[in-house]
Amino acid sequence: MKLTRTLLTAAAAAMLASPALAAPLKVVTTTEDLASLAREVGGDKIEVIALAKGYQDPHQVDPKPSFILAVSRADVLIVVGRELEIGWLPALQASSRNAKIQVGGPGYLDASMTVKILEIPTGQLTRAMGDVHPQGNPHYWLDPNNGRKMAQAIRDKLSELDRANAATYASRYADFDKRLAAAEQRWDAALAPFKGTKIVTYHRSWPNFMERWGLNVMGYVEPKPGIPAPPQHIIDLITDMKAQKVKVIIVEPYWDLKTPNAIAAQTGGKVLVLAPSVGGTKEATDYISLFDYDVNTLVTALKGV
Amino acid sequence: MDTVTILQFLAAPIVASLIIAGIHAYLGLHVVERGVIFVDLSLAQIASLGAAIAVFRGYDPHDPALYWMSLGFTLIGAFVFAMIKGHEADIPQEAIIGISYAVASAAVIIVMSQSTGEAEHLKDMLVGNILSVQWPEVWLTAAIYVAIGLFHFVFRKRFLEISIDTKAAAARGVPVRFWDFLFYSSFGFVVTRSVAIAGVLLVFCYLIVPSVGAMLWAKRIGPRLAIGWVMGVLVSMLGMYFSVVFDLPTGATIVCTFGGVLVVMALLRPLVRRRRA
Repeated sequence: MKLTRTLLTAAAAAMLASPALAAPLKVVTTTEDLASLAREVGGDKIEVIALAKGYQDPHQVDPKPSFILAVSRADVLIVVGRELEIGWLPALQASSRNAKIQVGGPGYLDASMTVKILEIPTGQLTRAMGDVHPQGNPHYWLDPNNGRKMAQAIRDKLSELDRANAATYASRYADFDKRLAAAEQRWDAALAPFKGTKIVTYHRSWPNFMERWGLNVMGYVEPKPGIPAPPQHIIDLITDMKAQKVKVIIVEPYWDLKTPNAIAAQTGGKVLVLAPSVGGTKEATDYISLFDYDVNTLVTALKGV
Repeated sequence: MDTVTILQFLAAPIVASLIIAGIHAYLGLHVVERGVIFVDLSLAQIASLGAAIAVFRGYDPHDPALYWMSLGFTLIGAFVFAMIKGHEADIPQEAIIGISYAVASAAVIIVMSQSTGEAEHLKDMLVGNILSVQWPEVWLTAAIYVAIGLFHFVFRKRFLEISIDTKAAAARGVPVRFWDFLFYSSFGFVVTRSVAIAGVLLVFCYLIVPSVGAMLWAKRIGPRLAIGWVMGVLVSMLGMYFSVVFDLPTGATIVCTFGGVLVVMALLRPLVRRRRA
């Protein structure tokens, strides 16, 4: 409902603001992280709509009618890529009948092209390798340095489509870059004492986050989301956690807490719900406050154990 | 104006829902008459098992082999359901259907736990989303349903007699098991496709609710079919409209609209009945 109203206002604004050149670029992003980065760079020169909410699992989004409308009117579509949105976005792009934002179109931006991607399988893929993403782990935005590269890609794409405002995009990016660098120093300092700490995560959503701050993921609660892990896996995990004194289990807000809680009870550990995306918790209102929240929550928990 | 624009983009989903409404309102009459309400859920789950096994065997989730594998499993399911009915044992057929559903669902989980990451996506593919349906899919589905509809139209007397009074048909020397198998396999064909487009919940509603609504208002098969079709079409359009106006997920909105309209029809029943009397 709110989105419909936003769209109506956007449409009305677009009509009032003709000639078309003066109208702000309409940017649609698949996630709120991308929307936040686009806002940092674009400011009031663009209008941003994020499709998936930060508390939703971006693998599985139930498309609503307003999504089609938003995508059909978009000048730019920014996606996470690496098959993250494969379950719902291609059909939406096809339904939109908007040539600009199709894969390879001038308004299509896959934000993953310039960032550091982890867990890209090498060589022949076989079933024996278990749960594998052929294009690498798509949760790459959880390293602030990747966020910087994503913002650069957004700056370049916006400047390419809207040359008149290129200087604004450049200076807004420079400002974001400065604030991000200051924040990174803060986060690095807060997590430095815990380098090498072992933790358990629910699923493989945090490799970039953990690599950035030198934390060690020693196991997963459910290697395949939605499919209960076999009992032996849970028993092994509990044994390993006890032996290696691992006390923290990180879970995304959209997974069930029953299994992690049971494991925590057995090992005397703590279950920590961290926000994987902007909007995943009410404190994470933009890209920088997302890390503020996650880093602070994690540091508080690690200090306590 | 906003609503109209969105409806334009929803043309393919709307046509798809009308096609599905058309064939399911008819098949639903048979299913309700036979008292095998959950047979579609069960066959859909057996079809998923086929697809899951195909992925496990190393096929790409977009490979046509997936469809053939799930169709093969559906036919096996149809064969089992047709055979069980012939025994006339003390076990209600619905129990067997329920057991098949549970076992097939669990088997899908086990197979998926043994295969690679691609299996995660299988869930989305088997449970379609009506909003995402594309024109080529719509036309292919329309062609298949017209073929199956014609088949049922040609043999409509046979299918009706084995659905309504099996014993009498058997007494007259009709090979009931054979026709039951034809019924369940054509039905499985339809359900497998519909579920891939619209998802399990929505297909269940298209199958059962129009025929239940029709039973409230009419006794004979002709009027029931007419009421079922009108209801299926109206609810599709109304649900689509609500989904646009309130910006809600389309499939779930149509399902709830079905529920609401059925309640209204039940409340209006005394009026309809009195006028007819």
